[in-house]
Amino acid sequence: MKNKILLFWAIMILVVGCIIVIMTKPTKLGLDLVGGSRLVLEAQTTNTIPKITSDHMDSLKFAIENRINAIGVAETVVQKQGDKRLIIEIPDVSDPEKAKEFLGETAELEFKRPVQNFDGTEGWESTGLTGKDLRKSLVSTNSQNGEWVVSLEFNDVGTKKFAKLTQELVGQPMAIFFNGELQSAPVIQEPIIGGHAQISGGQGGFEYEQAKNMVDLLNAGALPVPAKIIEENTVGPTLGADSIANSKVAGLVGLSFVMVFMIAYYRIPGIIADIALVIYSLIVFSVFKIIPVTLTLAGIAGFILSIGMAVDANILIFERTKEELRMGRTLFTAINLGFDRAFTSIFDSNMSTIITCTILYMLGTNVVKGFALTLAIGTIVSMFSAITVTKNFMHLLFGTGQLKHPGWFGLKAEEINSAYETDETKRENAKFGILD
Amino acid sequence: MFSNAKNIIDIVKYRWVYMIVSLMLIIPSICAMGYLTMKTGSPLLVGIDFTGGTIIQYSVDKKLNNDDIAKIRADLTKAGIENPVIQVLSASSSADGEAKTNEFISVKTAFDGDKDSTKTSTVSTTIKNLYPEAELVQVSSVGPTLGKELMKNSCIAVLLAILGICAYLSLRFHVEYALIAIFTLVHDVLFVLGVFAFLGIFCNVHVDSLFITAVLTVLGFSVHDTIVVFDRVRENLKFAAKATTFNEVVDASVNQTLARSINTSITTLITLLALYFLGGVTTKDFVLAMILGIAVGTYSSIFFASVLLVFYNNIKDAKKMKSVNP
Repeated sequence: MKNKILLFWAIMILVVGCIIVIMTKPTKLGLDLVGGSRLVLEAQTTNTIPKITSDHMDSLKFAIENRINAIGVAETVVQKQGDKRLIIEIPDVSDPEKAKEFLGETAELEFKRPVQNFDGTEGWESTGLTGKDLRKSLVSTNSQNGEWVVSLEFNDVGTKKFAKLTQELVGQPMAIFFNGELQSAPVIQEPIIGGHAQISGGQGGFEYEQAKNMVDLLNAGALPVPAKIIEENTVGPTLGADSIANSKVAGLVGLSFVMVFMIAYYRIPGIIADIALVIYSLIVFSVFKIIPVTLTLAGIAGFILSIGMAVDANILIFERTKEELRMGRTLFTAINLGFDRAFTSIFDSNMSTIITCTILYMLGTNVVKGFALTLAIGTIVSMFSAITVTKNFMHLLFGTGQLKHPGWFGLKAEEINSAYETDETKRENAKFGILD
Repeated sequence: MFSNAKNIIDIVKYRWVYMIVSLMLIIPSICAMGYLTMKTGSPLLVGIDFTGGTIIQYSVDKKLNNDDIAKIRADLTKAGIENPVIQVLSASSSADGEAKTNEFISVKTAFDGDKDSTKTSTVSTTIKNLYPEAELVQVSSVGPTLGKELMKNSCIAVLLAILGICAYLSLRFHVEYALIAIFTLVHDVLFVLGVFAFLGIFCNVHVDSLFITAVLTVLGFSVHDTIVVFDRVRENLKFAAKATTFNEVVDASVNQTLARSINTSITTLITLLALYFLGGVTTKDFVLAMILGIAVGTYSSIFFASVLLVFYNNIKDAKKMKSVNP
């Protein structure tokens, strides 16, 4: 009995620890609950880059992170997924469309010279001078007409290239392409050797936004490979808040009905199960916060399901204990036997759940992963809480000796000694019995 | 051994009845899926998660009728959106403490992933013109190749999960127990898929990637339930007197675990029903799939798995008899 009391205090310390963790650590909520955008970018192969390597992905990730910093969104997560994908999670984005446009742009700046095509038409030819040769760019205004322009400052290599190019092209136009679109094609009046240039927006000039976007993109750097958005998920903040509120209400209502049911059917053990359930929830939540698990809607569903599994463990144990009591065993033996015999069922069924969760976690999409993780954590904790917490409380409360009040277990007095007569089972055999 | 037990359910005696009930659950399901396969090429109506496409949802405060929807469709078509599919969902929200009914307009169009495509903003402008107070609640857009990949990965995940469970059960029980557990699981999953095929035919319900999660949960629960019954059979066989027949053991085991099976599904169903009626509108179908799965999983663990076990054993006995007295 001394061990039982020690264990009880250990559980109490654990509970206090869990409450402290829950109070102090923040909950990580997924974008579907707080609102935000989740984008999946896929790197595209081109003629010059036939295969996407991990180097490409690293620099793509770097460029995307730069761009996000340029928009100035806090707490954005950029993650690599698989060989050629990036997941970008942007919370509280006010204009998802803009973010989307901004991320997908390759930001390729190219200077081109006029060329005579084979069929006699005029065309443009690459000069080798690109956005890579820039030191920085900024938005400024044209001193003559006050239009918005993009000022470029070349780095050392760029300055040399640009000087050489303008020397060759005096009297001819030089085209500036941004993302494959012709921005302007000014005629070069004289060689430019200072390493500065301006892009005007053609007739009518740039809108300020347009110029600003271009500057941000140029400063963040071009994407090393073209990337395409292949999946988008945006949740407005109200829907997220709604989902949290609804899930909370549903969870609480569900949980309280389950608790009432357990007490109505199992009486005093039911009360113990309810307390164990509360302790179980505290432990699971603090595990979520310690790891930390990002809670999504699917994750909450997984957690609610794991409550079902936790209750099931208690039900299995109580049914077995009641059976043993019906056979007229003493309380201490009945409780022990109930636990040991129910354990094989609990263990095998939970193992199969954990196997499923593992496979889901390895193969599933993000939604499925969140579900699998919370369900697996819940299932593991439920085994602990049923076997340690419930058993300990039962022993402490009921002690040893004969069952004097069958009503405590929801049994009738005449039921005792009336059940199936089975041979005494060796506990060790029952625990991990394999069918022979 | 089980002499003074009063059995609530006679599994062995009515085994044919239970078999027929199970067939009546499964055969219409298969028919519905077959019908949809012939009509659309897949056994369920699949959502944009699997086919690719864009769904944009707005919430509005006023009630919408069919004329409103026709107006939205006409305006969207005029704005250059090809074949928009418009649905209206009603949901009660309790975000600000008081319950109010919100209407959601959901617009489905082709995939909007190219950077020069401005579908989402076109749709937004059109909707805002009609309903200035409309609020964008959700956008999801999936590329067509990604959709196919998701479908493939989901199928692989389900098959691997089944294999994993099968391997584990073969280790812990006999191979035939594992196979029967798999049959039971297929029975349950077929039923859930079948109901959703019917919902697809009659209510135009499409399944998404959350649905796969639900199916996988049903799968886990089904095995969970079956294992509890089998575990009891295993234990009872071990300690049964030599005179008790296998059929008696199965009957007794099912009856001994009956209270547990029913109570567990009641408690799980309570939480799920709370989620269904009070939870978010986005997870309704997901929860419905689990409710169906857990109900049928409980039925099958009592009436289908045990019946299969009895059938299997009878066949085995018959073979043994034959080999003894040819």
